[in-house]
Amino acid sequence: MAEPSNTPATISEVSLEKLVQRDDRGRPSRAAQNVVFEVQNLGVSYDGSPALKDVSLEIYQNCVTAFIGPSGCGKSTFIRCFNHLNALIPGARIQGKILYHEQDLYGPGVDPVEVRKRIGMVFQKPNPFPKSIYDNVAFGPRVLGMTGDLDGRVERALQQAALWDEVGHRLKSSALSLSGGQQQRLCIARCLAVEPEVILMDEPASALDPIATTRIEDLMHELKAEYTIVVVTHNMQQAARVADMTAFFSIERGEENERSGILVEYDLTEKIFTQPSDKRTEDYVTGRFG
Amino acid sequence: MRATLQEELDTLQSTLLEEGELVLRALRGSMEALENRDPELADEVIAFDDEVDRQYVGIEENIASLLARQAPAAGDLRLVLAMLHTNLHLERMADYCVTIAKLTKLVYGITPDQRMMVAFQEMGARCEEMIRAALQSFANRDVAVAESLVELDELVDRGNRRVMGHVLSLGSNPAIREWGLRMIVVSRCLERIGDHAVDIGEQTAYLVTGEFREFTDASNAERLDS
Amino acid sequence: MSAVPGALRGERRRGRVSGVLFHGFLLFSLALGIGTLVALLAQVVIKGWSNVDAVLLFEPPSADPAIAGARPAILATIYLGLLVIALTVPIGVATAIYLEEYADKDRWYNRLLEVNIQNLAAVPSIVYGLLGAAFLVRGLGLGRVLLAGAFILTLLVLPTVIIAAREGIRAVPGSIREAAYALGATRWQVVWRQVLPAATPGIATGSILALSRALGETAPLLLVGALTYVSFNPTLLGDFTALPVQIFQYIQRPQEAFKTVAAAGMVVLLVILLLLNSVAIWLRNRYQTKW
Repeated sequence: MAEPSNTPATISEVSLEKLVQRDDRGRPSRAAQNVVFEVQNLGVSYDGSPALKDVSLEIYQNCVTAFIGPSGCGKSTFIRCFNHLNALIPGARIQGKILYHEQDLYGPGVDPVEVRKRIGMVFQKPNPFPKSIYDNVAFGPRVLGMTGDLDGRVERALQQAALWDEVGHRLKSSALSLSGGQQQRLCIARCLAVEPEVILMDEPASALDPIATTRIEDLMHELKAEYTIVVVTHNMQQAARVADMTAFFSIERGEENERSGILVEYDLTEKIFTQPSDKRTEDYVTGRFG
Repeated sequence: MRATLQEELDTLQSTLLEEGELVLRALRGSMEALENRDPELADEVIAFDDEVDRQYVGIEENIASLLARQAPAAGDLRLVLAMLHTNLHLERMADYCVTIAKLTKLVYGITPDQRMMVAFQEMGARCEEMIRAALQSFANRDVAVAESLVELDELVDRGNRRVMGHVLSLGSNPAIREWGLRMIVVSRCLERIGDHAVDIGEQTAYLVTGEFREFTDASNAERLDS
Repeated sequence: MSAVPGALRGERRRGRVSGVLFHGFLLFSLALGIGTLVALLAQVVIKGWSNVDAVLLFEPPSADPAIAGARPAILATIYLGLLVIALTVPIGVATAIYLEEYADKDRWYNRLLEVNIQNLAAVPSIVYGLLGAAFLVRGLGLGRVLLAGAFILTLLVLPTVIIAAREGIRAVPGSIREAAYALGATRWQVVWRQVLPAATPGIATGSILALSRALGETAPLLLVGALTYVSFNPTLLGDFTALPVQIFQYIQRPQEAFKTVAAAGMVVLLVILLLLNSVAIWLRNRYQTKW
């Protein structure tokens, strides 16, 4: 395997050690440094023009990883590579590799349905189906054939999404009658119902008011004990609050002045926000560059 | 971008350096009062501390406000934290100057031991040099100058240790013995002023490198600075 | 109040006049259109209402206006309606699904298909009649039968149903599809479980409106052989006539009384169409609030 040409500041051994939580006898109590995704020199282009260039990083299990950066830097494009959603856009081409537990996500014969069973997604604008709350949460299990104990699944998913107390008594009412924050938690419950390993979130709170946002952030914190979470956010403070690891993307201009996204720095969140290694990161995080 | 934040940071920094100048004046005043056995000058030094305290409180409040409103990150955050600590060190140094002045007032009537007075002037001059160096290193973000403070502090510490020996050999005259005991406290004050100056140097190093480390460790015999 | 400067008041006056004129013009156009329609309808209803009775509904046509009915025609119209629905909805919806969900819009044959559908919707109905006569009646050897009439009407309104179904499908937000895909649904599951249910009101409305049009068509049925005189109940592969055609023949008879019968037939036809349109509106209203 060739060395990536554009290695951003790699995580020091000291930093990695921090990702492992130890109990009071010094034994690791959280297997945080298992690698879930390994991205190798990933590039994405739409109809020939590059959107993202040469990204390499690892996503760790039971961590919240945040992607931050200015608009147009490719972070949404990047996150959609993890569950094959870019395939829905005609003209999208992928170079490089993403390994999911050491299997090539874009290898020959890989079924997008299998990928999406394990890697779920929550979108920016809450998009519940125009059906009842129950049918929304049950949709995933139904299409995937996981119909055993459907009621139990629905209840568990709603519990995990901190929504059961509010809607448990009216599962048959329309999902569209919920508030924005509740709808987003419903979308999270819908995603959880298929028992994925990874939850991708593309700006999950940007359409919500501050209180709903806080609830989503608290939820991320609870969920990471069981799931691996990757978040795209344009709100730096949100990344600082919720994420264990943060990746900063920026825009690079090519020879013909075309803009493409690149990974600048990827490290522990506290390092990115107290002492970033790259000046571009420092400029972005201190707000000195728009 | 973030012109407001930048302005506030610049203002805070210049206020801090002004406070530093005030501390230098307080030190000079207290050392002069000590040398000339001048109680009125000592009183002026004590009254002058109000100015320093005013600056101190102002800076504290502005930092709290800035943290709440601007959420500084990375280099900005480290700068604010460094200023917060430096503010505290400067205020403590000024308090020690007040202590020296108060002690001067207590014993100005007693004829001092000349050798010790010379020693004190030495220590005072060292401290002044250290404060100047600390402020300069902070203003210029110069880690080398900050680290040089350690050697200067060693001189002050040695002076402090010698004072003990001197006092023990002062004789049995009760007046001179009272004077000696008071002077131990003065010596201690000067030694602490030196330590605070080193602390400011450590803050400068933190600001620049992002790592906080002590230049010298009191509980370890050898120095830790590389 | 006295502080309002004169200039402000002046502008209000200027804008007001053209606003009033425009408003007046709109009302006039509305009156013209509706007025004409109401006048026509009133004429028919007044003329024919008295004759809408059991005779008309249950008796076959006859040379005697007193006992002339339109039963075969009414039955044929109903059969045609059912056949048209049974044929256009599956074919139209399937085509719409293919075009919206499966087709790669860059391929030349898909673009050709799009253009053709738009054109076909504008073709005059008599052309469909000729088409039917040539290919179905003679070419396929079906003969002048009800089935042929149903096929022709299907072809006539199919473009409309396709277009309506496409609109219905397009109205389903992409975010719904995305969410369904992200949960691991296959394309077919997304279409069958999310897109079609959401598009159903649009499809239903479009289909019923298409049906209304089909039931009122006369020219193509004439060319496919809706016979002038049919006194027996229609069968799929037998001779037939339809209500519009029946009305047409009655009008051609010299006796004055037949005109009344014809008018009565028109009333029946209008009632059928009105009912169908009401169902369309009801469907649209009932399901529209979902979004």
